[in-house]
Amino acid sequence: MALAIAKENVARWLEKLLQAGEVVAPVRSSCGDVLFSTITSAEQVVWDFPNSLHPPKELLLPQTDPIVRITRRGQHHEVEPIIDRTRRFLFNVRSCDAKGIAFLTRMQEMEPADASYLRRSNNLTVISLACTTPCQLGFCICTDSGPFLRDSYDAQLTDLGESYLVEVASPKGEAAVAEAQSLFRDATEGEVTQRQKLEDAARRHFGEETCHFASAMRRISTCRVPDALWEKMSDWCLECGGCSVVCPTCYCFSVKDLGCDGTWIRCRVRDSCQYSAFTLEASGHNPRAQRKDRMKRRFFHKVSAQYYKRDGAVGCVGCGRCIKVCLGTTHMPAVVAAIRKGKWHE
Amino acid sequence: MNDVFLPDIACLADVRDETPDTRTFQLLFRDSKKDFHFFPGQFLELSVFGYGEAPFCIASSPSRPEALETTVRHTGLLTDALHKLGEGDEVGIRGPFGNGFDMEAARGKDLLFVAGGIGLPPLRSLIWNVLDERSCFGNVTILYGARTPTDLVYKEELDDWAKRADVEFHVTVDTASPGWTGTVGVVPSLFNKVTFHPESTLAYVCGPPIMIRIVIQDLLARGFKEDSIISTLERMMQCGVGKCNHCAIGHRYVCRDGPVFNYGQIKELVE
Repeated sequence: MALAIAKENVARWLEKLLQAGEVVAPVRSSCGDVLFSTITSAEQVVWDFPNSLHPPKELLLPQTDPIVRITRRGQHHEVEPIIDRTRRFLFNVRSCDAKGIAFLTRMQEMEPADASYLRRSNNLTVISLACTTPCQLGFCICTDSGPFLRDSYDAQLTDLGESYLVEVASPKGEAAVAEAQSLFRDATEGEVTQRQKLEDAARRHFGEETCHFASAMRRISTCRVPDALWEKMSDWCLECGGCSVVCPTCYCFSVKDLGCDGTWIRCRVRDSCQYSAFTLEASGHNPRAQRKDRMKRRFFHKVSAQYYKRDGAVGCVGCGRCIKVCLGTTHMPAVVAAIRKGKWHE
Repeated sequence: MNDVFLPDIACLADVRDETPDTRTFQLLFRDSKKDFHFFPGQFLELSVFGYGEAPFCIASSPSRPEALETTVRHTGLLTDALHKLGEGDEVGIRGPFGNGFDMEAARGKDLLFVAGGIGLPPLRSLIWNVLDERSCFGNVTILYGARTPTDLVYKEELDDWAKRADVEFHVTVDTASPGWTGTVGVVPSLFNKVTFHPESTLAYVCGPPIMIRIVIQDLLARGFKEDSIISTLERMMQCGVGKCNHCAIGHRYVCRDGPVFNYGQIKELVE
């Protein structure tokens, strides 16, 4: 179903969404950078923006995610799940990030499903904004996660100049439109054609970043990446964990009790497989004590055929954030290229 | 849908010293109607409130459901807090998790148990299950070793196994102390005391990683097939349900696909 909404009406739609639930959208911070934040008015939303440094996965997998409340009463303890049923609209999310959310949700739906995550994702409506201009470091075209989406959204907006084309793909998308139905009209055939032309044009304007996953996948999956190459690459890794923090598909976590004096909140705390303590056991035994083994693990999880078969996609949405944050240049395209060529760039 | 992270409350019905740094905790669910079925080799996530939770193998047998037990060495912050708890104190339990040992595959076979130090608890669950259904299995041989006589766990049960006519039991220590009259040496040194029929025997091996490696190589050299050597792996399993990634080895998860693997499977795991 393709609809259209005039640009001057979008603020009214957003006001309706604000009445229906929490709206999270890209906003400009006081420092000038763009980040995803809960908005209180439509004017806060930015429309022409390079993607935020942090993906909006925070909405579904917060850095510190309270999951169980533990209370001590005398000798006894009570435990109860912390339930978040807030209806949320994630507005103007970029295609890669919508794909990232779909990736995380597929993983959390696998048995046994994580009820805490799914409650949030079931109440989240993803309204994406197609990328008519690819971002400088993005390579979503290599991961089938942009610049326009075919799936993984509830509603997809495309900027047509005077109006937005609104493609609705799910009952949640329909419900979001229904909040202000009168502001929408059916899209014309011309508008649908214009959207296709914009997508075709966007595909022709990608930057230099490419990522040839197929041959790297073959080598990683069959353990044919020489240990010496992992060692050479891992020499460049500073173990900051930045790649995991900004990656839309990274979800490793630890479980911790926070609080004191008989009232604790058990939290899921996002972690990184790149930290040496991630696999450290109480006995002192650490199966991945070496940095090269941790780097191998990260890329096996993201690029191997074994995980591709399980997840139906590589664990990368081509957003380019790891390129931006990695001081050691051991980001996805560089490592994939090195594996493909059998040689690190030095 | 159940919240996979929500623990059940249990109280410590009994706390027993095994060694100076290891205790066995008997757990009793506060909800007496709690349905808790498990297989030998499975583990649970045990919460010490305020400290978090950690994975521990179930050391008791499903054939004795009245006493759910786990044996824990004092090692880090959480185990330190657990060791400070006493009878009547409450903990949280999630689980059981993992695949456990395949009891059906063991029926009719000779069984060889090889344990080192704190590696005996997961095998103890299986051993008691086997002994409680003794007629269903062939020869049962138990080889156990620890660093010193003090480090041997379940000392009364070891005496019990030694006395049984239907069990061949041998114990060794790396370093003897005054009064020790038994064997001195590492666990594989006990192999020469027993006779194997590798073609009809399943070997269960659990202990420190170095011991597991040496024992497996020894068993292979003695003619055991790779899939007849079974071990239970230890990893830092945080969630127990294959989501947190701490225990991932390649695309396998020790918490969900294991912790019990045969050697053929272990060899295929990509670190």
